[in-house]
Amino acid sequence: MSQYIATFHTHLAALLTCRTLTGLGVSARMMPVPRKLSSSCGTCIRYEAEGPRLDAMDTDVERVYETDGQTYTLLKENR
Amino acid sequence: MKKVNWLVVLTGALIGLAALVLTAQGNPANMGFCIACFLRDIAGAVGMHSAAKVQYVRPEIIGLVLGAFVMSVATKEFRAKAGSSPATRFVLGAFVMIGALAFLGCPLRMVIRLGGGDANALVGLAGFIIGIVIGVQFLKRGFSLKRAYEVGSAEGGVLPAVVTGLLILVLAVPALFKASTEGPGSMHAPMLLALVIAAVVGALAQKARMCMVGGIRDAVLFKDFKLLYGFVAIFLVVLAGNLITGSFRFGFTLQPIAHSSHLWNLLGMVLVGWGSVLLGGCPLRQLILAGEGNGDSAVTVFGMVVGAALAHNFGLAGNPDTLNEAKELVVGGISTAGKIAVILGFAVLAFISAVNLPKEEKAAVGAKAA
Repeated sequence: MSQYIATFHTHLAALLTCRTLTGLGVSARMMPVPRKLSSSCGTCIRYEAEGPRLDAMDTDVERVYETDGQTYTLLKENR
Repeated sequence: MKKVNWLVVLTGALIGLAALVLTAQGNPANMGFCIACFLRDIAGAVGMHSAAKVQYVRPEIIGLVLGAFVMSVATKEFRAKAGSSPATRFVLGAFVMIGALAFLGCPLRMVIRLGGGDANALVGLAGFIIGIVIGVQFLKRGFSLKRAYEVGSAEGGVLPAVVTGLLILVLAVPALFKASTEGPGSMHAPMLLALVIAAVVGALAQKARMCMVGGIRDAVLFKDFKLLYGFVAIFLVVLAGNLITGSFRFGFTLQPIAHSSHLWNLLGMVLVGWGSVLLGGCPLRQLILAGEGNGDSAVTVFGMVVGAALAHNFGLAGNPDTLNEAKELVVGGISTAGKIAVILGFAVLAFISAVNLPKEEKAAVGAKAA
């Protein structure tokens, strides 16, 4: 299992993605975006899964990172 | 215990210290910083309202925006983006300002007033928290002003450019602007000092993501208290400073530029809290976001300036407590027009909150109403 963080363009997109991930049995929770990742004060999702589950992301996902808690590896970006 | 973000605490402490210094250097009491009051003063200085006592080009606003701009450019965090319901944000900004001027202060001044012993700010804080909790209920149901998109750097730089132009004009042709000769607008720290202090605060607030609304919102929504520590740090430093200098005076009546009309202090800040959650940040945060390239926040700031002009042109803003000739207390507060404006604000916020819910939530709200 790996840890991931997904950031979003809107709070709604985070909410919908969190519901989708949880519905798929993925352990996910919403939280403020870590300062290392953005100067915006939006909402992100931290989740633990076998893969990044990009298929479960809302269309307004901004970035998906794999993380070990200290470093963040960018997997997907949607500007 | 949640991890403490020491940058947020340090920034809060420095904002508190800056507020004390600015007050000692001439700003009105308990008004080292007040984003609502200072935007209102600028609106007066450029002739958007004619309240003679509150007209001055406040360099603190210019400094905050430019400090955030320089910091975001220096750290490669300047990102020009816009397009997230700008017209709605303009209206929200105007009503947040009307609520703040009913209370006589933005959330930042509310904390500074608390540190000076102004018990009316406790009432304001209660209202602010109620407003944030209302806003959070809509966030939980999926309220969204839709996403912003990347735009050209020029679009993102509008507010920094506007305040730079304002600074150049006020230095080169000061006669262009109105300046109060009495009242709060006539009380100010030296321009250069205020500009430099505010620029440092703006830069740090950009790094720390300082936000009066965000702290309580994150605590309610995520049980995350990191931003809230900044809020607490401002209060503690201002409290300590006022106690040391003998400026602390606890009570409700006759507090500096404040009224003790409790209901309208409360409701004014409910409006501010609710509106700020919908906007995604308090008035200070809107200035900082606009400094780092957010065009939607720039529109919000313009909405706040227009809201300030409306508040004074239509007599909606609060009047402080005073003593009459017989030295009897005359409790201030807001006019009937001001009360109507605050209530209208709730109706507008409720409408904006409802129409920006996802379709299934709108249907559920409609069914409940029926």
